[in-house]
Amino acid sequence: MAALSPTFAAPSVSAAPAVRVTPASPASALAPSVTLPLRFVLTGVGSLLAGMALLVARPDLLATYHYNQYAVAATHLFVLGFLCSIVMGAMYQLVPVALETRLHSERMAKWQFAFHLVGFVGMVWMFWIWNLQQVGHFGSAFAVGVGLFVYNLARTLRRVPRWNVVATGIASALVWLSLGVLAGLAVAAGKCTYESANTLAPTNPSWALVKSLQGVAHWVNRFDALGVMHAHAHLGGVGFFVMMIVSVSYKLVPMFTLSELQNERRATLAVMLLNLGLAGLFVAMAWHSPWKLAFALVLVVGLATYAVEILAILKARKRRTIDWGIRHFLTALGVLGVLVLLGLVLCWPRLPATLFTTQLETVYGFLGLIGVVTFTVLGFLYKIMPFLVWYHSYSREVGRSQVPSLADLYSVRLQVIAYWLFLGGLLLASLGAALSREALARGGAVVLLAAFAVFAVNLGKMLRHFFRPQIVPLNLTVATKPAQP
Amino acid sequence: MSTPLIEVDARGLEPPQPMVRILEALSALPGEATLRAHTDRRPLHLFPLLAERGFQAESEEHSDGSFITHIRRA
Repeated sequence: MAALSPTFAAPSVSAAPAVRVTPASPASALAPSVTLPLRFVLTGVGSLLAGMALLVARPDLLATYHYNQYAVAATHLFVLGFLCSIVMGAMYQLVPVALETRLHSERMAKWQFAFHLVGFVGMVWMFWIWNLQQVGHFGSAFAVGVGLFVYNLARTLRRVPRWNVVATGIASALVWLSLGVLAGLAVAAGKCTYESANTLAPTNPSWALVKSLQGVAHWVNRFDALGVMHAHAHLGGVGFFVMMIVSVSYKLVPMFTLSELQNERRATLAVMLLNLGLAGLFVAMAWHSPWKLAFALVLVVGLATYAVEILAILKARKRRTIDWGIRHFLTALGVLGVLVLLGLVLCWPRLPATLFTTQLETVYGFLGLIGVVTFTVLGFLYKIMPFLVWYHSYSREVGRSQVPSLADLYSVRLQVIAYWLFLGGLLLASLGAALSREALARGGAVVLLAAFAVFAVNLGKMLRHFFRPQIVPLNLTVATKPAQP
Repeated sequence: MSTPLIEVDARGLEPPQPMVRILEALSALPGEATLRAHTDRRPLHLFPLLAERGFQAESEEHSDGSFITHIRRA
């Protein structure tokens, strides 16, 4: 049986093998509202469309070198507004049920949403006008939200009755997310000036804070700015997103292909290699160390181990057809393969810094975020959202009324159209970025915007069932059926 | 006379089909009967629906990793 929502988890799941449920203990009494993940998902899809419209308007963000205020603003719109929103909302749903426990606090999750929204919108805006002091302020609000998210999920993980590789991976992702946010705040602190440190009296309550930030800035500025920025990006991109994808897919891929995890030791080894590789890569990037390539190779071995496990899961599947949701995910893995090769090229110690090679860094980031993470997120959303809406609107009516099936909630035709537009747009925009051709990058962004608009229409079809369920009483369906001969 | 036992094998089905099969079978379950559902995973989403409909359930893991859930009226 699928388990996607903490809303409906059993009230108390202990390490005992049996779970008892009685009418006196309705599990739904403790249920968080279904609107919790929905608000994150809608915020995420809104940010995706806004971000892609921005790239249509400003294709130079892709076609020129990425270290400028507008590219940084756009990147944070995609990463925080789109990807973080959706991944966090989905985690509140998935983590408790995938691990057979309950979410620690729905109230805390709602507070996180407020901090998240104010934080990322303010950050993107302030990056755009390059006011780093305000980026620090809004970033701190965002960080409070992340703190609530990490604490909430950590408390949820503490209740897991049977610790497994999924829990290990999610715990790792939470650590990397925290470090990524701290690194980001430190980078912002390093780009601010602290004149007030000389004028404030030591008795002033702000003095200690300003002095501490000045100390952080002094420390961060000892490193190369680009190296630190790339290290920060990898903590978020690889540590949080790739690690979350790896962990969650160990649960979701078997669930949707009717298979099982094939080798838990191999699955855990992949997570551990990713952790080791990323820890080393982070330090090597920040210090501009030649060890970067060695740690990148550890990451690659981790990803290859993960790929072997996923292939084994797929090979053992009972459901022969691979639907388009899973195809999105497998496409993401294919792009990940390309990304790994590109990453290794970029790690090469003697790589010359030409216009083309520096543009390849942009392609690397773009393919990572839009190719790998977005393809996975959209693929998993096609599995999670219909179930969430169907369960909310129809599960109580099963056996009592005629209700639509899961497949009736969205259009597979639109899904396939969006998939091909996505793939085509990704290729065009990447080429535009690699060759520094704005027209090509804009063409790719237009196609991608079309793909995501089609996805949004399909999501709207699902949500129509949330707001206006189509329930037909059984006696009515019997009455309208033609008489049997 | 022993309590009638109705079996539902909902293995090998993609969500939410196992839940649908079980709930549909329950809507026709005779008063004293027990429904024995066999699923690939612990039917977490089913529990609150059963409680709402006045059923009690007990779910246990089978040696092959699948789950057996006994459901009867409370």
